[in-house]
Amino acid sequence: MAESQIRLAADVGGTFTDLVVVGHEGRVLTRKVPSTPPDFESAVLAAVDEVLRDEAVVPGSVTAVCHGTTVATNAVLENRGAKTALITTRGFRDVLEMRRMRAPQLYDLFFVKPPAMVDRYLRFEVGERLSAHGGILSPLDVAELDPIIEQLTAENVESVAICFLHAYAFPAHEQQAGDYLLRHLPGLPVSLSHEVLRQRREYERTATTVVNAYVRPIMHEYLASLGNGLEDRGVEAPLLIMQSAGGLTPAADAARNPVYALESGPAAGVLAAANAGSLCGIDNIISFDMGGTTAKAAMIEAGEIPYTTEYEVGASLSAGNRLTGGGGELIMAPAIAIGEVGAGGGSIAAIDGAGALKVGPRSAAALPGPVCYQRGGTQPTVTDANVALGYIRAGRLAGGDVVIDEAAATQTIREQIAEPLGLEIIPAALGVHDIANAMMLRALREVSVHRGRDPRDFTMVAFGGSGPVHAANLARELGMTRVLVPPRPGVFSAIGLLVSGIEHHHVRSCQLAGAGLDSGNVQASIDEMRQEMFDQFRRESVPLDTVTLAAGADVHFAGEASVIRIPVTGGGEGQTATVDIDRLCKDFIAEHARLYGHAGDDDSVIELCAVRLVGRTVGDRRMDVPEGSEPSPTSQSRHAAFADCATPVAVPIVTRAELESATAGPLFIDEYDATIVVPPGWAAKHDAHGNIIMTYGAATS
Amino acid sequence: MSTVDPITLEIVSNALASTADVMAIGLYRTAYSTIVRDALDFSTSLCNAEGEQIAQSTTIPFHMGSVPDAIQSMFRKYGDAIEPGDVFILNDPFDGGMHIPDIFIIKPVFVGDRRVAFAVATAHHLDLGGRVPGSSACDNRDIFQDGFRIPMLKLYHRGEPDEALFALLRANIRVPVMTFGDLRSQLSACHVGEHAVLELIERHGIETFESCAREVLDYSERLVRREIASWPDGSSTFVDYIDSDGCGGPRTKIQCTMTVAGDTLTADLTGSADQVPGAINATRSFTVATIGFAMRSAMSQVLPNTEGMFRPLEVIAPEGSIFNVRMPGASSMRGVVGFRLADVALGALAGIVPDRIPAACEGGNSLVIFGGQRLESQDAYVYYELLCGTWGARPDRDGNDGLCSPANVAANIPIEEAECNYPIRIERYGLVNDSGGAGRFRGGMAVEREWTLLEGEAQLTIRSDRRDHPPYGLQGGQPGRGSTNVLRHAADKEVLMTMVSTGIKEGETIYHRQPGGGGFGDPLERDPKAVARDVRNDRVSREAAVESYGVMLKDGSFEVDDETTARLRAERSHG
Repeated sequence: MAESQIRLAADVGGTFTDLVVVGHEGRVLTRKVPSTPPDFESAVLAAVDEVLRDEAVVPGSVTAVCHGTTVATNAVLENRGAKTALITTRGFRDVLEMRRMRAPQLYDLFFVKPPAMVDRYLRFEVGERLSAHGGILSPLDVAELDPIIEQLTAENVESVAICFLHAYAFPAHEQQAGDYLLRHLPGLPVSLSHEVLRQRREYERTATTVVNAYVRPIMHEYLASLGNGLEDRGVEAPLLIMQSAGGLTPAADAARNPVYALESGPAAGVLAAANAGSLCGIDNIISFDMGGTTAKAAMIEAGEIPYTTEYEVGASLSAGNRLTGGGGELIMAPAIAIGEVGAGGGSIAAIDGAGALKVGPRSAAALPGPVCYQRGGTQPTVTDANVALGYIRAGRLAGGDVVIDEAAATQTIREQIAEPLGLEIIPAALGVHDIANAMMLRALREVSVHRGRDPRDFTMVAFGGSGPVHAANLARELGMTRVLVPPRPGVFSAIGLLVSGIEHHHVRSCQLAGAGLDSGNVQASIDEMRQEMFDQFRRESVPLDTVTLAAGADVHFAGEASVIRIPVTGGGEGQTATVDIDRLCKDFIAEHARLYGHAGDDDSVIELCAVRLVGRTVGDRRMDVPEGSEPSPTSQSRHAAFADCATPVAVPIVTRAELESATAGPLFIDEYDATIVVPPGWAAKHDAHGNIIMTYGAATS
Repeated sequence: MSTVDPITLEIVSNALASTADVMAIGLYRTAYSTIVRDALDFSTSLCNAEGEQIAQSTTIPFHMGSVPDAIQSMFRKYGDAIEPGDVFILNDPFDGGMHIPDIFIIKPVFVGDRRVAFAVATAHHLDLGGRVPGSSACDNRDIFQDGFRIPMLKLYHRGEPDEALFALLRANIRVPVMTFGDLRSQLSACHVGEHAVLELIERHGIETFESCAREVLDYSERLVRREIASWPDGSSTFVDYIDSDGCGGPRTKIQCTMTVAGDTLTADLTGSADQVPGAINATRSFTVATIGFAMRSAMSQVLPNTEGMFRPLEVIAPEGSIFNVRMPGASSMRGVVGFRLADVALGALAGIVPDRIPAACEGGNSLVIFGGQRLESQDAYVYYELLCGTWGARPDRDGNDGLCSPANVAANIPIEEAECNYPIRIERYGLVNDSGGAGRFRGGMAVEREWTLLEGEAQLTIRSDRRDHPPYGLQGGQPGRGSTNVLRHAADKEVLMTMVSTGIKEGETIYHRQPGGGGFGDPLERDPKAVARDVRNDRVSREAAVESYGVMLKDGSFEVDDETTARLRAERSHG
């Protein structure tokens, strides 16, 4: 690829590392190599080496390396973070450990609360205290830090978090303490809570700051060795890291505030879905990403990606709400709102003590894997059911060591599901498939119906190894009639890295209501953040004229626990936007009614709790990805069963290219690492961007 | 009556459970009071057309099983006059409710004229009038002191609000903005539940829905029977006490005899105290819910949240006893008797399935309520803290330090939120060393919190317990450390009773320490390294390591002195 401007995207997951290379003229190359934990950079560099060698890419022609990484998340999940200490206000060192007090499940007397990331003996208190309104009740005496510094040294602490009460609004004491530590222990990374998160709620801010401190050294080291490795190969382009909220940030910033990049991987998939939609003029999308152990969904409305302000890490699954919270550390940092459930191709199906058929949450994962992989798995999985139904082809998976054994899949479904339930094999396998769908519907509904959105107004964009197998049936359950399967669904998330610009999110807690809720106050916060943000972009050598700003406000009725994020709009666009409070209030009331079914009453007072500013450079939001060259099908058809026709029928196997006009299902499109299932009642067509578009109810053949 | 195939049943059952959770999420997100939105003291459920509970969200277990009593009361009173668009309200404990602060909102769901389900949201309200702010005080002496009674009534009739009822309610409560905000969140949760049920019916058909709504009950019942059948037949009795009668009087006896016979369980509460003068009496429905919690916690199976679990269970609670209060007994602070009954029921089950039952937890949450008027605005306020605690040690592991007891799933109130919105400063909030009961596995550490009133005067109400009767240990484990309440005036300090209503002035400070959890097994058998780790983390002092565990650490270090430890332990076990 002897082109002049080449961009690389590397998406590192737990199992595979995907590399996508895009040339100036739109040529695209992909590589999929096994990940190499714990030294994840090895796989990235190995894939880069392959591309440089095999494809004649000139290292100097690379203009950007965009990277999505699970290094920080894995450090949390596997307790491999830095030895971290916490310094906090006297009387409050246990705030971190007590969390919000709730256990994530009921009736489990043997529940073990996950230990705090900082041991109690490394949580230090100092005698400073500010009031809620900024009054100094007790000043910070930095001399109190001296014995703490001695202990930090004696204990070989690698990273420090400082969180004082009310520092979200009044950061002076944190700044003093941070400066003092920097003077006396230069080189020791110190995370100050007001720098990580300027929001009220001491546990959430402490936890977010501690997680930041905990993963900071490991992220720093990882990004440094990756950067050095790239430089050694002559790739001197900036290394940009995907953040949980979906924008890229320079590696130096991600190394300093890694807590913003914890959900890097899933975010990229949503961006890729948004990109795929915008190319063909679809801006209402529900993305659906189904892998081996989990399924994820996100809603993109009018091209806008929705954000969440809190989620948990370290829990078995990130919890989207507080009912099931408490299984991990709560992170209050912007992230793309993604619904996630523990159902994937590897989820195990079983019959419980009272004769009910259950799927998941246990997973056979990559090893031993489904029974049909013949790698030692003995319990039937969703993939086994899909093979028994004929949805997934038997034989060798392209490029892999895995050979799918159809007889083994059928046997395990018969012996462990069908016979105990007194069913035939097909209804039993359909049952497993449908129950997995019922679970995944929870994630899909969470991001749509539960937010007052009607899925029928949306198109599903399906990807991930198993996504295109289940997509059409799930869409039907939600009344959706259109499904888009992009080219290369297996490396689709990496595409998201290439369509994103550089992005920063800033926030200020406040409490404005009644007379205090005027445009001037809000404008002042926005102006202050804009200044900070411009300084940051300047430091990163980003030309300011490429930056667009979007302001938002967290609004609720005074007294409510949660907030709704409302865009702040006004007379001007972008950098000169002025605040229109009346419009903000009207928008809030409309959204509240939509979400919760009422718009308050005479008692209700609108209160603004935080002002947010997002700055982003324009990414390549319209990147076209040509389809890969797929092997020709080895057979013309195979038998498969569907809910509407449980007797197996011969289903034609076609390639994308063959679907020039809408062709009625049932059909299979077998590809490199995914099968697209077009059930009866659906029709499929290939579009100009290489997508398969499936539509329901409009079948013509 | 058709039976449903297991696959459809699983799909509908999943949908019912997630609907109850969605109702709950909407409820807490729009609620106003700290007790609902932060502490999450509420529940949401769905019932079938017969009023049987077919799903409850992941919320307060003590509400599980109380909802059907409320619906039965509606049937008795309204019979055929339950119509589309109606919404019912109830809090009266003598008309199917639990205690004054808990308001039930019940919305029947219809397809045409056919009633198919009920959506229910139950929330603990900040204030419903009565003698003290918060409508809860242990020394309330009758139901009228507890607060405003709402018998089963229609809040909406065919979609039209009963303005008279709204006006009457508004006139009798202290912080109507909060109360009506929370009420709206309950109404909106029921609205969400109604829509979800209708959507399910549209998808699966009314016959299938109704069959599923019966079958999920049978399914829970089967799981419970199977589990109980695996327990040994026999009886076990356990006795414990609440420190007082709610009014500073003598201790209150709590007794439970559990009997397993085949696949059934009987809980006989005969022998427990008669109804007491204070407000710590329970209604029968609350008593049954509490026993249900204990039974279910002892099970190894995971159950769906349906009323079917109660079918194999019989509860004997004599009328006029503390577990089945007669008019006009007060019950606003009945939570404490529920927590103690849970401890005692689990204690009794420890005699039947010993490897499944932990030592006692902190004894349930403590309540600390401030009520007064803001100086500047003259607005009334009620600041309601629901403080939760810690777990007892388990047969194979330590108790959790600083986690809401399993009988409750409340959350804490963020200090920064409290200080921004109320005339309160929190001086400390943390875990207390040497408070967890010693044992081979250590009980959880007690939680302490201290508040200063920043303006004017306020009524201070505290509900706590387990000072004189601390959380028990099991199989040689020591009890946890008891609770305390200290009110600090300008010049001196005063130790308050566990249950008290009193005044507090600007600048005065109230300190509450909850009890620690009980230990499990002989402390001398605790792994010395675990003791050393506890000492290093200031959970156990060096002195207590020697005293309670017979573990000596080397001078100034956190390394076990093996020789001395062996000698100390040998002396103790022979002495």
